[in-house]
Amino acid sequence: MSLNIITNDSEKCEIALDGLYDVYDPEVGLNVVDLGLIYQIDFDEAEKKLDATMTLTTQFCPMGESITSNVTESLASAYPDWQINVNLTFEPPWDYSKISPEGKAFLGR
Amino acid sequence: MLTPMMGGGLQQTTNYRVVLPFYIFASISFLVAASLLLLHTDIIQSHYFNPHTLAITHVMALGWGTMIIFGASHQLLPVLVEGKLDSNLLAYLTFIFTAIGIPVLAIGFYLFHTGALLQTGAVLINIGVICYLANVFGSAFKSHTKSVHAWFMITASLWLFSTTFFGLLLVFNFTQFILPDNSVAYLSIHAHLGIIGWFLLMVIGVGSRLIPMFLISKYNNPKALWWIFGLINASLISFLIFKIADAPVASYYFSVLLALAAIALFGRHCYKAYKVRIRKNVDEQMKTSLLSVLQMLLPILALVTTLALLPADSHPNIALLYGFCIFFGWITAIIMGMTFKTLPFIVWNKVYHKKAHGGKTPVPKDLFSEKVYHAMLLVYLFGFIVFISGIITLNDIILKTGAAALLAAAILYVFNTGKTLLHQPKKL
Repeated sequence: MSLNIITNDSEKCEIALDGLYDVYDPEVGLNVVDLGLIYQIDFDEAEKKLDATMTLTTQFCPMGESITSNVTESLASAYPDWQINVNLTFEPPWDYSKISPEGKAFLGR
Repeated sequence: MLTPMMGGGLQQTTNYRVVLPFYIFASISFLVAASLLLLHTDIIQSHYFNPHTLAITHVMALGWGTMIIFGASHQLLPVLVEGKLDSNLLAYLTFIFTAIGIPVLAIGFYLFHTGALLQTGAVLINIGVICYLANVFGSAFKSHTKSVHAWFMITASLWLFSTTFFGLLLVFNFTQFILPDNSVAYLSIHAHLGIIGWFLLMVIGVGSRLIPMFLISKYNNPKALWWIFGLINASLISFLIFKIADAPVASYYFSVLLALAAIALFGRHCYKAYKVRIRKNVDEQMKTSLLSVLQMLLPILALVTTLALLPADSHPNIALLYGFCIFFGWITAIIMGMTFKTLPFIVWNKVYHKKAHGGKTPVPKDLFSEKVYHAMLLVYLFGFIVFISGIITLNDIILKTGAAALLAAAILYVFNTGKTLLHQPKKL
């Protein structure tokens, strides 16, 4: 995939991303995948555990709680019987380079 | 390498119930002040110390400017102090005391009832401000980090309390002579504690974080912000010293210069944030907010003119121009822009908090009418410019035309605020 998302299972990751394309950063109006907020999605088949690591455009984003909870719900919809863990990180911090070409086009860049 | 933080660093949002009453109160205040301005355009022909001018000024400064800042700052305090709001109860108490105190004070000025009515209003407002101050201090000092933005907020809140407490003394001084001189002699101190200490410091402190955030710009320059912080405080403190020492009028230019330097640095901060923004298209609300930065220069221009003309006392209406440019100019423009950036977010968060997946939900800007916002902005700018022309020419027809346009802008503002507040969730 053209996105820089680290994963240990590309097929499962595609399914997870299908749902995440519908989770939007309400201020930017762009989905969290094209915005480059999703850093990593790992799957533990044996334990039925999904670990996602994501960021926000700014550490002080007032919509952070809403965005992360919607990411969690989206992943839970894609993998209903799995344990979902969404970790938030600001290392490395989000920047413009993380936006996909589609996202850049949307932002007029 | 990725460093996960399990839930850490996530911004804790303030409950919308705490915030929305302030927005409602402020929008009604704007409508009331604009109506009073239309009814009493004759105040421009008289000295600024008259009942109607005092009533309109306090409705604008407290009911409009301060209440919207209270609302927004309760929401944004966690963002600025990098922690959480200390107490919802204190926020409710702030609203209750100020929402009762402000109309009582305004009516007291309007009727010029210098006794119990004014005193009751002033006492209630001070109790509300103390609750706010306690909440800001509690939130800021319980937070582990104190950014420059937090210091802007803490200091601005202290200046606010100085303003309202000094106002309380002035109100009691009308009947009990507790100050060496009559209250009129202290009006400029009271006004500038509020304008520079509260409004300028707070608007720049909050704006310097929000403008880059809403532009989706990574620009940050804490060193420049510390300079701005120092310059604004130095401007106010030097003015207070000159005033108390009864220094020559020319010395006030020094304080003006410091404030001007702070505004110029803030303008530079906004410009740099704008230049490196990620989103190319800038929405109208952000354009209005950026316009308000330019509007900061108008009061300075009026002030310099006032200082130059006041010794001759030949143009007393220029002093009113100064106040008008501040309250109906800069403060109103920044509020108009920021209301429709922050309020839709607050309501969106309330309505769509857990619904923003599995289908595209409306974005915050869909919660109000952009056409009405655009019309409001045009009518407002027309009214603002025409009213200024009326102040300069002392022509009542021009003043009435400008005031009518400002009232129309206030009606459109209230309409869009109501539309946002009453937004119902769309079926997903």
